[in-house]
Amino acid sequence: MRAFFRIAFVLSALWFLAHPNASQAHAIIVSSSPAAGATVSGDTVAIRLHFNSRIDRARSKLTLLAPDGAARALTPASDAPADELNADATRLPAGAWHLRWQVLSVDGHITRGDIPFTVH
Amino acid sequence: MYLLLDIFGYLSVVLRGLILIAQSFTLGGLAFQLLLWGPLQPRLSVYGLTIEERCRAFLRFSAFALALLTVASLALNAAALVGTLQVPWSEAVSADFGRADIVIAACALGIAILANGPAHRLRSAALLALSVLALAMQTRLTHAASRPDVRWPLLLSDAGHMAGAAVWIGGLPYFLIALNGCKDAGDWRLIARRYSLMSMAAVAAIVCGGLVMAANYIGSVAAIYGTAYGVMTLAKLGLLLMLLMLGAGNYFLVERLRRDPTTPILRLKRFAEVEIGIGLTVLLAAASLTSLPPGVDLPRDRLAWHEIVERATPQWPPRLTSPDYDKLTVAQLQAKITLADAGRANAQAAYVPGEGTILPRNAEDIAWSEYNHHWAGVFVVLIGLLALVEHFRWGRWARHWPLLFLAMAAFLFFRADEQAWPLGPAGFFESLRDPEVAQHRIFVLLIAVFGLFEWRVRLRGSKAGPAALVFPLTTALGGALLLTHSHAIANIKDQLLIEMSHTPLALCGVAAGWARWLELRLDGRVSRAAAWIWPVAFILVGLILLDYREA
Ligand SMILES: [Cu+2]
Repeated sequence: MRAFFRIAFVLSALWFLAHPNASQAHAIIVSSSPAAGATVSGDTVAIRLHFNSRIDRARSKLTLLAPDGAARALTPASDAPADELNADATRLPAGAWHLRWQVLSVDGHITRGDIPFTVH
Repeated sequence: MYLLLDIFGYLSVVLRGLILIAQSFTLGGLAFQLLLWGPLQPRLSVYGLTIEERCRAFLRFSAFALALLTVASLALNAAALVGTLQVPWSEAVSADFGRADIVIAACALGIAILANGPAHRLRSAALLALSVLALAMQTRLTHAASRPDVRWPLLLSDAGHMAGAAVWIGGLPYFLIALNGCKDAGDWRLIARRYSLMSMAAVAAIVCGGLVMAANYIGSVAAIYGTAYGVMTLAKLGLLLMLLMLGAGNYFLVERLRRDPTTPILRLKRFAEVEIGIGLTVLLAAASLTSLPPGVDLPRDRLAWHEIVERATPQWPPRLTSPDYDKLTVAQLQAKITLADAGRANAQAAYVPGEGTILPRNAEDIAWSEYNHHWAGVFVVLIGLLALVEHFRWGRWARHWPLLFLAMAAFLFFRADEQAWPLGPAGFFESLRDPEVAQHRIFVLLIAVFGLFEWRVRLRGSKAGPAALVFPLTTALGGALLLTHSHAIANIKDQLLIEMSHTPLALCGVAAGWARWLELRLDGRVSRAAAWIWPVAFILVGLILLDYREA
């Protein structure tokens, strides 16, 4: 019987270890703002990426690529819904920009993508 | 790091497939022990100590493999995160998937250790608990775990689907071990009957789980043929139908065995071997399915039925001349591609790290690819035809068909890379520096060796022994690997259309390989039928290759 309890203890410890604290799949974008190919004004660009699955925000990133190729990292907002990655970008010079995203979905898949948009 | 990322996408699918295989063999072995071997033992005429030992050894091996592969997959995924996000390893490993992987690996190790002794109640209970926990954790690595909405029905379906596959496919090796180890018809009947019941229950679980998932992940008829997820599901369905045919054959044989204990069971064993092979292919297909976004999430840019029909409609003549000589058709092709690319610019792009961005193609590239595919098609059709001719008394000469592989290798050597030696400007060693050329050259060498090898097998006839099995195994493996091909995860139409032609190729390859296997390993009616099936499957492969177009 002692062995049984030992096993039960180890199992519950393992279960606890694996249980997710935050409610956070192969993620792809369902809708995005700015949309691919859109033209926006450069004062404040509200970036809203809505994915098809819950994502691990701490292990995802957003990067803005300027027309000259320089990269600018964005900090995703922490209060967004579980399937969104949001950030605000301000004072973007006019030109052809790229929003590069990489997300980890909760089931462990990493995906990336690129959203081209124009700032006027 | 960059090298790792380059192969990350493909490696993760293959690893996932191997994990599903090891998991099925582990859980299947436990199910076999708890549901079949344990209860039947007192009624069998032999004690079967060796059978039990062998089963246990295979179970331990599978469980160890599951633990190792899970750790490898964890390391690979964590490395990708560390490399792309510049986060510390501890942060990468502590992601949800990391913790699930650690638990799965621990459970698998526990099973491997606990399985190392005779079954008694406590041990069995612990094994059962470990396997349930491992399965529960595995569902956390599937689509069901990350859906934004309520997911319990999906999690349960996924678990049921995997458990069903484990009991049926994963139980097959143990079933074979038991059949081979027993010598008495009464034992065979008991074992086969019980296993048949177990696999029917498993099929029910697989189908029920599959239907729930299909309804949620595919959602509509248009998504079945319009998205990669739907097409891959169709491939799995095709493989399931092959398995069910074999299973039905076994069922009837078991029924006959019940009436007449002298019924030979060779067919039962051979069918079980083929079921293992096709079962492994299904698991590989399942792995590439877990890396594809559900079709229901890709409502835009799906393939329309008329686009598939248009692409699949045979075009005459096939492209048997290289682009240098048919400038005119290449120009037409270019116009078509430009049109298609215009539609791509605003499509949603998404890819797995390492898959790279999709390079712009031009008509020349496509024409070369089509030209190579079409010539390969000519050779494969000829091989299939000669293998058919070989059956006739007047056609004995046709048994030299493996020499066609040499012709094919020679053709590819000269023509696959137009820039390389001997016809192109780049020298032999210089051209090998291009990974694609090197890959092709290795491939050419393999085809040549393979052709010579199979020719020798043909010449030696029935004296060839196990060497004859290399050909069916390679064919089946080729088909299976086609299903793990890395895929376009967004709906990029031209990639989807290419995949659309690869799926029937894979299914024909799998069917051809295992039909040839049955021809060699069985006798009587089934063997004679199989001897006709595989050349026909080869001809189909050739025809699909001849019909292959990229624009
Ligand atoms: Cu191909």
